[in-house]
Amino acid sequence: MKTLPMQWMLEWRLAAIRNGMKDALAYRWDFLIDFFTQAFVPVGMQLILWHAIFSQNGTQLFAGMRHTDLLAYTWTSILFSQVRGGNYDFTLIEMIRTGSLSQSLLKPVGPVEFIFWRGFGEKILTAAFCLIVGIIATYFADRSLVNLFLAMMMAILGNIIHYLFGAILAAVAFHWENAFAILLMKNMVVSLLSGEAVPLTVFPVKYAWIWESTPFYLYVFGPTQMALGKWSMQTWAHHMTIGMVWCMAFAVLLQVVWKKSIRQYQGIGG
Amino acid sequence: MKNTKTSIEVTNLKRSFKSVKKESGWKGTLKLLTNPEYITHEALKGINFKIETGEFVGLIGANGAGKTTLLKILSGLIPPTSGEAVVLGYEPFDRKLEFRKQISLVMGQKAQLWWDLPALEAFDLLRAIYQIPRDVYQKRVDELTSLLDVTKLLNTQIRRLSLGERMKMEVIGAILHLPKIIYLDEPTIGLDVLAAHKLRNFLKEHNQKEGATIILTSHNMDDISQLCKRILLIKEGELIYDGEAEKLGQRNECQLKVQLRDDVSTEILQNALQGFDSRIEKSEEAESTYLITIPRARIADTFQLLFQKYQISDVAIHEPSLERIIQQIYQQ
Repeated sequence: MKTLPMQWMLEWRLAAIRNGMKDALAYRWDFLIDFFTQAFVPVGMQLILWHAIFSQNGTQLFAGMRHTDLLAYTWTSILFSQVRGGNYDFTLIEMIRTGSLSQSLLKPVGPVEFIFWRGFGEKILTAAFCLIVGIIATYFADRSLVNLFLAMMMAILGNIIHYLFGAILAAVAFHWENAFAILLMKNMVVSLLSGEAVPLTVFPVKYAWIWESTPFYLYVFGPTQMALGKWSMQTWAHHMTIGMVWCMAFAVLLQVVWKKSIRQYQGIGG
Repeated sequence: MKNTKTSIEVTNLKRSFKSVKKESGWKGTLKLLTNPEYITHEALKGINFKIETGEFVGLIGANGAGKTTLLKILSGLIPPTSGEAVVLGYEPFDRKLEFRKQISLVMGQKAQLWWDLPALEAFDLLRAIYQIPRDVYQKRVDELTSLLDVTKLLNTQIRRLSLGERMKMEVIGAILHLPKIIYLDEPTIGLDVLAAHKLRNFLKEHNQKEGATIILTSHNMDDISQLCKRILLIKEGELIYDGEAEKLGQRNECQLKVQLRDDVSTEILQNALQGFDSRIEKSEEAESTYLITIPRARIADTFQLLFQKYQISDVAIHEPSLERIIQQIYQQ
């Protein structure tokens, strides 16, 4: 019996997610060490910074936040910074550069989407792990579980936007062959404007438009604010709508850019 | 009933690549930054051919002749610069979903299976992608893995398999959905004699049983001579031969193996056969034995002369190997 088109559309995506999860867990210790290193090294740096600010000058408030607020922000933001990450846009560039994209191009599914779903498998594992940690923390910190789930939804939307944006930039590799520097630059900008490095409230009010006019704040800052109960349900819905619009705009742009750029593909190394 | 429908039609197909010219040294590096110079390489220079459904065609040529470029165009990976390619009624680079469901490309040097996962996991994903019903899929995996002797390895990580086992898994993954067109780009590269033999038999059977159209490129002439009735020979982007493999051999030279009763030097023999357009080598197999390469049209004359001048204890006519013929064509 032939599979229905809708059923097929769902089935191959689920199969790609499953495949990505199994691939991520092929070396479980590597997965865990990678996860904890990426989570705790930036956190350690932030904690040292907050300690320096509050202990040396006797400061009570920094960017409108107390020391305890900043600590809460830093610890909570780990849950979402791990979900937003993912190097599958780097994978795309490497595939274009080395010609290994060919195998994905031959399959009767979109290559960019295929790579996304495989990478998303790993991110779902990370999100589930973060959610469990978050649920335990929420219980002890007496915060809202609903808020935590809504925050995780936003972080997952952020992950999708992050990949779409990365995949658009990765198309540069069709023209330049190597475009790692562009993605590295993107990651640095994202690190600053997503609220991963420091809370975005640190920005002077008159420069807030900089982070507000990008979708990056939806990756870490937005979800953290939601999980900490700083945003109302209406604010969350408002920012989710903005995120959806970004998502759709990037999806359209991705189609246009890849359709044009793929003509430059040479499938090197055959 | 033989289906004679055309599966692949290529008309005046051209493809060129533009690349940056990199000169050596610091001067070259600076020039690359400030004023890069581009060079255009014509990989295909107006190729024409048709392939009927179910044919097993060998695509041969030296490194850089344009074989892989042609396969890339036919599979829709890259567009031609000009000319037309039609595969199963589709323009490949349109990359229509229905087209991609019906083709497969196995690249000996590029894996489609995931390094850290067992082949079975990859096959399961391919099943979902190609909409293969589960019962059909299970039957097909059982059958194909059994034919290629890799059933026991289905749950082993790909990276832990030998090159031959890996290639067998790649081929299974590529034909699980029974594509109508299969492009095989050096599938036996690096394989030992047994593994290559097994894979060849398997491909032959698959072609006969499923009627798939197969284009095979290989530098291993055993692959070509044992599998392909028809050969497309490409030299520097041009198609210089399109026809039966057997006829390619017939149109050139053959080799006589002659054992003389007396020991005669190669020079003397060469002088005797002057004007016959021959090449003579002393065979290492036996005493006073010579290998004489002559144009096919001069066989009778050569024998007549040799029998007149020398006492001959044994003669044999050797058909030159496909490899030798192609080598000669390339040297011309």
